[in-house]
Amino acid sequence: MTKGPLALPVRLRRALYGALWAAPMPAWQLVFFAAPFALLTALSFWSVRNFRLVPDVSTAAWDWLLTTDYVRDTLLRTLAYAGGAAVLVTLLAFPAALAIAFVLRPRARAAVLALLVVPFFTSYLVRVYSWQTFLADNGIVNAVLRPLGLEVAGMLNSPFAMMVGYATLCLPLVVILQSMSLLAIDRTLIHAAHNLRCGPLRTVGAVIVPAARPGIVVGAVFAFILCFGDFVTPLYLGGGKHPTLAILIADTVKAGQQWPRAAVVALVMMAVLLTTALAALSFAYRRRGS
Amino acid sequence: MIANRFVRRALLAYLGLVLLFAFAPIAAGFVFSVNSDRFPSLPLGSFTLDWYRAVFEDALVVESFRNSLLVGLAAAPLATLIGFAAAYADYRFRFFGQRAVLVLGLLPPTIPVVILGVAMLAFLARLGLAGTLTAVIVCHVVVCAPFAMAVARLRFAQIDPDLEIAAQNLGASDWRAFAAVIVPMAWPALMAAMFLSLAVSFDEYMIAWFVGGLNETVPVRVLGFLQGQVSPRIHAIGAVSFLVSILLVALAQMLTSRMTRH
Amino acid sequence: MGAQDNRQPGGISRRTVLGAGGAVAGLAALGPSMPRIAGAKEPTELTMLAWYGHGEPDAVAEFERTFNVKIRPKYYVGGDQMLALMAQSPPGTYDIIHADAEYVAQLKEAGFLERLDPADYPFDDFWPELRRFDGHWFDGELYAVMTRFGFLGVSHNTDAVSEKEARSYRVLWDAGVKGRVGHLDWHLPNIACMSLYNGNTAPFDLTDAAWAETKTTLLSLKPQIRGIYDYGGLLSALKTGEVAVVPGIGDWITGVLARDGARVTTTIPEEGGLQFTESFSIGRGSRRAELAREFIRYALSPEGQVRQAMLKAYPALIPSRSGWKRLNDLHPDEAKRQRMALNGPNALDDIRRGRIHVRRLPVRQSLEDWNDLWSRYKNA
Repeated sequence: MTKGPLALPVRLRRALYGALWAAPMPAWQLVFFAAPFALLTALSFWSVRNFRLVPDVSTAAWDWLLTTDYVRDTLLRTLAYAGGAAVLVTLLAFPAALAIAFVLRPRARAAVLALLVVPFFTSYLVRVYSWQTFLADNGIVNAVLRPLGLEVAGMLNSPFAMMVGYATLCLPLVVILQSMSLLAIDRTLIHAAHNLRCGPLRTVGAVIVPAARPGIVVGAVFAFILCFGDFVTPLYLGGGKHPTLAILIADTVKAGQQWPRAAVVALVMMAVLLTTALAALSFAYRRRGS
Repeated sequence: MIANRFVRRALLAYLGLVLLFAFAPIAAGFVFSVNSDRFPSLPLGSFTLDWYRAVFEDALVVESFRNSLLVGLAAAPLATLIGFAAAYADYRFRFFGQRAVLVLGLLPPTIPVVILGVAMLAFLARLGLAGTLTAVIVCHVVVCAPFAMAVARLRFAQIDPDLEIAAQNLGASDWRAFAAVIVPMAWPALMAAMFLSLAVSFDEYMIAWFVGGLNETVPVRVLGFLQGQVSPRIHAIGAVSFLVSILLVALAQMLTSRMTRH
Repeated sequence: MGAQDNRQPGGISRRTVLGAGGAVAGLAALGPSMPRIAGAKEPTELTMLAWYGHGEPDAVAEFERTFNVKIRPKYYVGGDQMLALMAQSPPGTYDIIHADAEYVAQLKEAGFLERLDPADYPFDDFWPELRRFDGHWFDGELYAVMTRFGFLGVSHNTDAVSEKEARSYRVLWDAGVKGRVGHLDWHLPNIACMSLYNGNTAPFDLTDAAWAETKTTLLSLKPQIRGIYDYGGLLSALKTGEVAVVPGIGDWITGVLARDGARVTTTIPEEGGLQFTESFSIGRGSRRAELAREFIRYALSPEGQVRQAMLKAYPALIPSRSGWKRLNDLHPDEAKRQRMALNGPNALDDIRRGRIHVRRLPVRQSLEDWNDLWSRYKNA
């Protein structure tokens, strides 16, 4: 006990220190996620007999995926909606993040950031259900617009309503992520730009956006992931008329325990999201870090 | 920072609009939760507290609040620690399989919850955990940790690695350098990660439906109401969650502002 | 029938003691893994997997008091999720299982149900048409007991679509309801309504030609559609009037809205309607099967049946004659609204006239085929 771990060679000690930080995530995910994930992958090759799943090496579900035209249509539609929502939310969030980072004083800033977290805690289901009463033909929005003669019919079950739902899902999160990035920008850069007589727009374009790139991209990636897999908005605000892959999964399950088909769709979704996310993240962190 | 007064005002007004958008559904929910009509619509009916009474008299709803708090308060700190550690390791070290760890961390949120729920249940049933709150906690850590990792990693990208190395060169051990340099700088991100994890856990209903069995959380109950008994009870539950969370957030704000002042 | 009525109360209370005693003994045998089993004071817990509302106080409070039981419900949001949950839960997790007939077949097939003794249940008291419901018997053995049923046809806003118009599915294509037709998001009843409209007398047993025709009919409806909803969404859409007419649903939705004063109703078209059937079963490996049986018996008692008919979550018809009688005594308005008159024309006439077809799984096509058509329709 005289020297204990201190006697370890420095390199080994450093390696241990590093491993201690690096290990928990893979350990937890390997124990509790890898097995379910493997099962999910295996499931895509199982078959369904008499409404029961039977372990198998059937490619029926994959064949279905590749030969069914509406699967491709649904994938493209989901990409369009989720991609559109990610771009839209990123753009909508940015001025708000600018205000939080550069206009508000620290106390107000902390309060506003806290306020942005709060909506998350009121179940997303409840909030989307609430939006229905805003967007219905006899809803709150039209009650406000009607006296102005601006009544809009058919807002519900439209792509517009879906964007409202998607923004409800991820706008606050994206604002928070962007604000975090903006707050960390070296203020001397901005002062320098200012001293060089850059207008506000140029300062934003030439200095702020590049410096805040990680936060902007990470925010967009999260928005994309969340919207891509969301089931609630397409159902409650899209009226089931704009089916996305999440809806398709729910549908295949209704075909008598067709979990293999659901698994195949899930794996495709995962592949799409992972590819997009990794590409975006390597763009976000390029030439940064070390 | 931004000098132009007009621009400042415009930005503030816009921020107000964003907050309005975020709170509009909650505010409407409050109104409908004290409105007598069973189906929320205009014009409003009369004032009533019946929906709140129904919620508080429903033992299952009360229990679901307890379960949600329990799950959130267990899963969020755990997920934050795990995610934070992974982010720190990714930022600080170069090691074999670094990319794989990142991928493993990113995977769970990309899998649709319906099927992830089934797969999780199938696995946890074999461990004898099916139908327990422990199962919900375990799954929520899996789902929340990536969010925590992302938030923490974002913060690390902005911390100069030389700072920590400088501290070590001045003779601080790994741990002391970490405590002296990294913890204070990453503290806000740590809190953000924590809240985000809490929020994700509070909001997750599908996996919880599968693995929790008879132990249901608040969103699982809400889903049940939405599919079986649509009524302003949904809004009453939303309003109560809102008040509880405001309280939690304010509490955390007080705590953190005290800690960062040191 | 009188004898039946007399036997029930006394029989139940005696059975209560025996049943509860047996259950407690059974629990005690399980040893320390079970929570406290303190004599008569601590209520026994009975678990139930059900559609929303079947474990709420209006349905179970009386039973809980009588038997010193606490019912712990788990509500499901879709039959298929329910099956997946059952498949992965240890046997004995759920004592009572409430399901639609289509899923009883699948639950039985998968071996998730205990066999029941027909002698335990008052089938003599059922209306003759309902006494032996095919979907609950397998090789002459009973696995589920019908507690409620209902008809599905055309549900409509009476301001937009009259009952006369709703007497044919043709109304769905009417120019007046363009953009105001809604669907409940489930392939089975929707496609079956199209099949009925095409004149198929066995709507689930379709030849290739009839199936092809059904596809065409369904796809031609798409331009009329406002949305494809789940239960909650459909309630709102019908209530606000955004949706004027919905095929393949029934009083279990419009009855809820009518209670709230909405001007909606369900009409069974001349081409025929569908029947859904709800039942209780006992889950495989239930450690409280005795008590579960008592619960099913309670649900079939006149008091239980009245509660089943008027369930807060959603109303339905009931199969027991003494239940009808009690309902007419206690709640004549509801009996009238649901057409459960003892004398004179009533809901059973629709069955007798052959207008009602039991909702079931497709016979010649696979479930995947029907589901495929539904997904295609949504994407059209």
